[in-house]
Amino acid sequence: MIRYVDLFAKWLKDIGLQGFIDHYGWIIPGSQAVHFFGLALLFGVIGLLDLRMMGFLKGLPIRPLTRLIPLAMGGFGVNVVTGFILFAGAPNMFSHNMAFQWKMAFIAVAGVNALVFLVSGLQRRCEELGPNDDVPAGAKVVAAVSMTMWVGVMFWGRMLPFLGNAF
Amino acid sequence: MAFLQWVESLGFSTWVRESGSIWSYPMILFLHTVGLGFLVGPSVAIGLRLLGVGKKLPLGPMSRLYPIMWIGFWINAASGFILLMADATTKLINWDFYVKLVFIAAAIWTQQSLRKRVFAGREVRNHALASSTARVLALVMLLCWMGSITAGRLMAYLGPVSGAPNLTNKF
Repeated sequence: MIRYVDLFAKWLKDIGLQGFIDHYGWIIPGSQAVHFFGLALLFGVIGLLDLRMMGFLKGLPIRPLTRLIPLAMGGFGVNVVTGFILFAGAPNMFSHNMAFQWKMAFIAVAGVNALVFLVSGLQRRCEELGPNDDVPAGAKVVAAVSMTMWVGVMFWGRMLPFLGNAF
Repeated sequence: MAFLQWVESLGFSTWVRESGSIWSYPMILFLHTVGLGFLVGPSVAIGLRLLGVGKKLPLGPMSRLYPIMWIGFWINAASGFILLMADATTKLINWDFYVKLVFIAAAIWTQQSLRKRVFAGREVRNHALASSTARVLALVMLLCWMGSITAGRLMAYLGPVSGAPNLTNKF
């Protein structure tokens, strides 16, 4: 796995992307700022849905909340792009960084968790509920896992310069 | 400046800045990010809803996000205060920090006036569209959050260099 990350890092250098990012000093700080915009959008929508399913925020119907999921995906997309730019600007700082690997693993678990919510039919069952209804236990587990994973993603992201070995 | 030097030389400030412990600077910075998530996240949801996104979401229950946003705000006021203590002589003379503060003050002000105007008033029963004043306020709030996030991130790049020796805070 690490071997492929290294090859990818080398490829980024070879195509000149790293040099391009180095050349324009504003690209990295700009991408970092926009990475936080994406965070706010993703966490704003998903956190709201998670809190509602965990039993806070009763009174909010779930169907309009799940309709906002594309917005969260937009936030995630913004962060994939800005994250890619940050990686490409300094690949060696990330490729062997334990915090980066954990961050990617947490994102993967959050993704699988969201997929389980969709394909298990839990999402459809929640959407049929009224504004004050309790969600099924399975949906509460999905919400708790989602919340833990996304706060965890923030944790590992913030720990990149501190727990890793390459900064 | 003597006062700032005194603040920065306190045992606690020095520990935060230089101990290298995961519980000092890194954890406080993490809390500052979590606070951002809980403050700006719901605020963005409210702002977008008022601008017409997800019109089927009733506005009324969204007022319950305010206590969550205040928790986020106080997490960030406390963690931000500690980060300022640790780097008082550099961060407090950085003009960019005051740009950030102005953006935050404006964002909170719009957020609170939306609370009074939309959530405490008649508009809350209107499930479809917010008034044009509310929409303008929502847009201003979103722009102010973008401004404060950007100014905050740029504090690592603009003005005097802060942080412990050998610590890169550009990430």
